[in-house]
Amino acid sequence: MSELTLLVLQLSFLALMWIFVFSIVWALRSDLFGQRVRKMQTADASGQSTPPTPPRGTEAPRPPAAAAAAGAGDIATTDNAGRLVITSGAKAGSEFPLGRDEITIGRSSDSSIIIRDDYTSNHHARLMLWSNQWMIQDLDSTNGTFLNGSRVTVPAAVPLGATVKVGATTFELRR
Amino acid sequence: MSNRAGTTAAVPPTGGPPTSGVRRIHLPQKLRNIELALLLVACGINAGAIVLVQLGALGAVDTQLILLGVGLSVLVIGLHVAMRFVARDADPFLLPIATVLNGIGIAEIYRIDIAFGDAGWDSAAVRQIAWSAIAIVAAIAVILIVRNHRVLFKYTYLSGLVAVLLLLLPLVPGLGREINGARVWIGIGDIATFQPGEIAKIALAVFFAGYLVRNRDSLSMVGTKFLGMRFPRARDLGPLLVVWALSMSVIVFQRDLGTALLYFGLFLVMLYVATSRLSWVLLGLGLFFAGAIVASQTLGYVNARFDNWLNAFDQDIYDAVGGSFQLVQGLFGLANGGLIGTGLGQGRPDITPVPQSDYIIASLGEELGLAGLFAIFMLYALLVARGFRIGFAGQDDFGKLLGVGLAFVVALQVFIVVGGVTRVIPLTGLTTPFLAAGGSSLVANWIIVALLLRLSDTVRNHPRLVIDG
Repeated sequence: MSELTLLVLQLSFLALMWIFVFSIVWALRSDLFGQRVRKMQTADASGQSTPPTPPRGTEAPRPPAAAAAAGAGDIATTDNAGRLVITSGAKAGSEFPLGRDEITIGRSSDSSIIIRDDYTSNHHARLMLWSNQWMIQDLDSTNGTFLNGSRVTVPAAVPLGATVKVGATTFELRR
Repeated sequence: MSNRAGTTAAVPPTGGPPTSGVRRIHLPQKLRNIELALLLVACGINAGAIVLVQLGALGAVDTQLILLGVGLSVLVIGLHVAMRFVARDADPFLLPIATVLNGIGIAEIYRIDIAFGDAGWDSAAVRQIAWSAIAIVAAIAVILIVRNHRVLFKYTYLSGLVAVLLLLLPLVPGLGREINGARVWIGIGDIATFQPGEIAKIALAVFFAGYLVRNRDSLSMVGTKFLGMRFPRARDLGPLLVVWALSMSVIVFQRDLGTALLYFGLFLVMLYVATSRLSWVLLGLGLFFAGAIVASQTLGYVNARFDNWLNAFDQDIYDAVGGSFQLVQGLFGLANGGLIGTGLGQGRPDITPVPQSDYIIASLGEELGLAGLFAIFMLYALLVARGFRIGFAGQDDFGKLLGVGLAFVVALQVFIVVGGVTRVIPLTGLTTPFLAAGGSSLVANWIIVALLLRLSDTVRNHPRLVIDG
């Protein structure tokens, strides 16, 4: 076996190792650089939108109604909060029961609530349990998380019926 | 009993949230197909490495070892198939990365066997292949038996006890073996030796995760503020001191610096992740360095390690018994490799003492060069990054901590070994995960991969609500 052949084989082996490394990096690019925002789909959705999509218009009348619905703004705990209700945005009106699991909110596909719009960060915020109280924490998102209109900087306890705003979506915790 | 819990975890949940306005992302087996494609490339790399070793060192292709390698590939594919059934949402990158690292390790050990003229059962490569088979079977067993990682949470204190017992085993007279000064092996007769400390690190990670989840409130909430940091109360220092004492006793009785650093580092990082308080890390590092300095003054072997590290190129130390000969030969080997290496099978890695276990990184660096070594480091980085990501995306605190802990154990071990070989830190006798010759380390690391796969399956969660804005 000539020296040149061995050199060529060695170089192609090194190249193969790096191709392997880069194919893994390529396969997980969405984790590294975030999900692509789907412009096409948003255009589609707003074209056929019968459900209320206007992001800001419906928000103003919401808080008073929500406050009335909730019980006096007690802090939401595992005992008194039973469900999470989306109050505005593309999926306004949908809800799901709260368990004891933490709920992550963001654009990435590993979030519990996936919000794919231009305002939401990949890992935007999370709802977590601190000694049975539901707390909202902003995960250093670009556009911020708002609890009753004020920006969340440190983990804050979420009162029942309080409006939490992430991007163009708002939700609240209810009994 | 874990079966029932397992089926609900493996198959996306059927009950739960209302269907209106909910769309589940379910990508049937897409992840597993990525994994299969990468696995085939991985097996190709491994076969290529063995063939190149044979061409470089023997000048001809010998099919016997390649057939053994094919046997391993079949086992790895077996693990992949098992995951198609019981962990279909698991991370698709961990298995191919572990396969490549294991295979490159076998090829390099085989290359050193050729240089030493070992064959048959004397050959470290054949033994490594046998251990790899055992390790992969163990990984398949873990994937099949542990269907939900929360089962481990119930056994927190039991695994703590198991870890301590495993650490004590080598000190039992008759069972323990002392090799190269460190008393960390057990052996039955002369046949198989095993390093129980490798398995203990997994048990410790489980114990730390469970313990910290149960007790972190008292460790993170209270304390006095000093220098802008909240320091814990004296009575909360107990766990830190216990683990510190454990590591120090490993240094004193088992004379194993690397393992002590590994256990203590693991605890500190998990404590930091659980409490997000920097003061714990500072306290812990202070304690460890104080202990290490005392040990380097009083214990001869620690002192010698420091000497070899600081004055490696001193002629007296180079010539001394137990001196820096090995360290310096390893550095010469790396230098000889240069940018693209001498080519597999064409270097002289056998000049360095124990080139197939402690110094496998120097051997690979000589034959694959900087380019090859950095590809290997990239693979480690990706493996660890996946582990951290599994921890980050986890839904429950125990799983999060366990994921971070297991990934960090691999990272720290690579750092300690590579840092020691490249003279960044004093040399300690730890194995390079997946690469180095050594059965216990292989079994332990494959079990770590299996646990991370299991975690990622329950973690790679099922979004409850998808809102397309």
